[in-house]
Amino acid sequence: MPLINLPAFAPDLLAAFERLETERVDTPVIQPAEPFLDIAGEDLRRRIFLTQSETGESLCLRPEFTIPVCLRHIETATGTPKRYAYLGEVFRQRREGGSEFYQAGIEDLGTRDFALADARAVADAMSVLMTLLPGRPLTVTMGDQAVFEAVVAALGLPVGWQKRLVRAFGEQSQLEALMLRLASPEHVTGLSPEIEALVKTGDDEALVAHIDGVMQATGYLTNASRAPKDIARRLKDKLALAGASLDAAKLDILREFLSLNVSLRYAPGVLDDFAASTGLPLDAAVQAFDARVAAFANAGVKLSDITWRAAFGRPLDYYTGLVFEITMRGDHRVLAGGGRFDRMMSLLGAADDIPAVGFSLWLDRIEHAIEEGARA
Amino acid sequence: MTVTIALPSKGRMKEDASAIFQRAGYTIATVGNDRSYRGRVEGRDDIEIAFLSASEISREIGNGTVDFGVTGEDLVREGLARADERVEFCARLGFGHADVVVAVPEIWLDVETMADLGDVAADFRARHGRRLTIATKYWRLTQQFFSGNHGIQLYRIVESLGATEGAPASGSADIIVDITSTGSTLRANHLKILSDGVILKSEACLVRARKESHDSDPVVAEIVAAVRGVL
Repeated sequence: MPLINLPAFAPDLLAAFERLETERVDTPVIQPAEPFLDIAGEDLRRRIFLTQSETGESLCLRPEFTIPVCLRHIETATGTPKRYAYLGEVFRQRREGGSEFYQAGIEDLGTRDFALADARAVADAMSVLMTLLPGRPLTVTMGDQAVFEAVVAALGLPVGWQKRLVRAFGEQSQLEALMLRLASPEHVTGLSPEIEALVKTGDDEALVAHIDGVMQATGYLTNASRAPKDIARRLKDKLALAGASLDAAKLDILREFLSLNVSLRYAPGVLDDFAASTGLPLDAAVQAFDARVAAFANAGVKLSDITWRAAFGRPLDYYTGLVFEITMRGDHRVLAGGGRFDRMMSLLGAADDIPAVGFSLWLDRIEHAIEEGARA
Repeated sequence: MTVTIALPSKGRMKEDASAIFQRAGYTIATVGNDRSYRGRVEGRDDIEIAFLSASEISREIGNGTVDFGVTGEDLVREGLARADERVEFCARLGFGHADVVVAVPEIWLDVETMADLGDVAADFRARHGRRLTIATKYWRLTQQFFSGNHGIQLYRIVESLGATEGAPASGSADIIVDITSTGSTLRANHLKILSDGVILKSEACLVRARKESHDSDPVVAEIVAAVRGVL
């Protein structure tokens, strides 16, 4: 049944998806809420439309398509690689615009050639937008969490600190705060003399036994999520981290990296220069980055349309590599956004490790842009 | 125009609020019998008193159905989105002190700060097969503090409407966000407050609904000045 409020260009969109050899899928509008809150975090709760089934199960109106498409893939178990396309209504409160709007997109699940899959996602998004907005200049901003992770690792920080920095990637203010703290070593406070003495002896079993004893005595042991050995292990990790700091020179290197913002045409050279001038061992990350740039060129994307911004990322734990946004030149409204989310499928319960990359299109903004173009 | 003030309908909060208004020159009397939910100020036909529960008061100020209310800052900030745009905290009244805090099991020796908690939350799923859970009735304050101030996204809230402190020991949540005044209940349940885990230092406040009509109302200005004058 055709929906009368579908954007007028929906048939063109579906034709484009077919041309791109994707498999069109639909998912129910009413979805279990748990996976969305679990994957995207509690922040989403305020923006989605929640209700309950008669039996008390939390349900919501589909707030986006990626999770339902991935779940459907896991349930139907049809094997990979698969490229799914979707077009349908989503329900989510936004700062700008209405709370029910159409989204369309492509999810590429299980393609093992990352460079090729990344490039194809950007190329597909660009080609669809160019079909819908012929002659309008588009520009892509991309980031790459893998390069940031490599830089942080190469700086020689303890793993715990690397994880903190990677977690904050994409949140400039959080990252700044972390870097400030890294400028001077911290001291662990709040440990009783008894525990400090125990830790100092290096006797792990005694420490675990002590924690175990306290948990028994306080009635925590039976239901505790964190076992005594978890607590002891992280306490030791933390004490190892406490002394860690970055000297001013290394912090400057990190800041310099985060300020990189260049056309993808020059990005491999800039990244090369950065690695050479700082002496950081970034070979593997640079190679993967360069392979993707080559794949972009092969996929027919103009490198001059893409800007690489080193600090661009999304601070959610399922994003792993490429992230990108497409806007019209000189306009802030994001028409398409996407990225690589290799951890999502296992988080959702897939038995195998399934790499994934995809994008979604903001159809109401595209519709608006088409109307503006018609008036101009 | 009549100015309506919502006051707590029972307990210490009711007595303390009445005492402050008394000192400010407003003698509050209930209309009809002692249990009545309507009151008046002696000698003032232009002021009405409504006795409501503390959480109703924050809602009614948010709606603008009353002009003033005396209630805890925690309830206002939890109940209203963008509270400062909708209400004005005119005066802090010096009673009903309660801190909204993040508390974790005392035996989590490795967790002293929100940064520690962020580390634990990030690894939680991989180690325990689920997200870190927080028992609280303060959904909004928790979300703002965890995501907004500390960049912690990955946790789940478990609604708790009473005996929140017992949740970690009973296994219904890992940590809690709750109010505490002396900390003794937390200690009794073997919980500790994180060193940077105070979300809000709350107390009873005189709160005004932001209404345009208030700008030209001398009674509104008079009440604010009188209450501030006796603190």
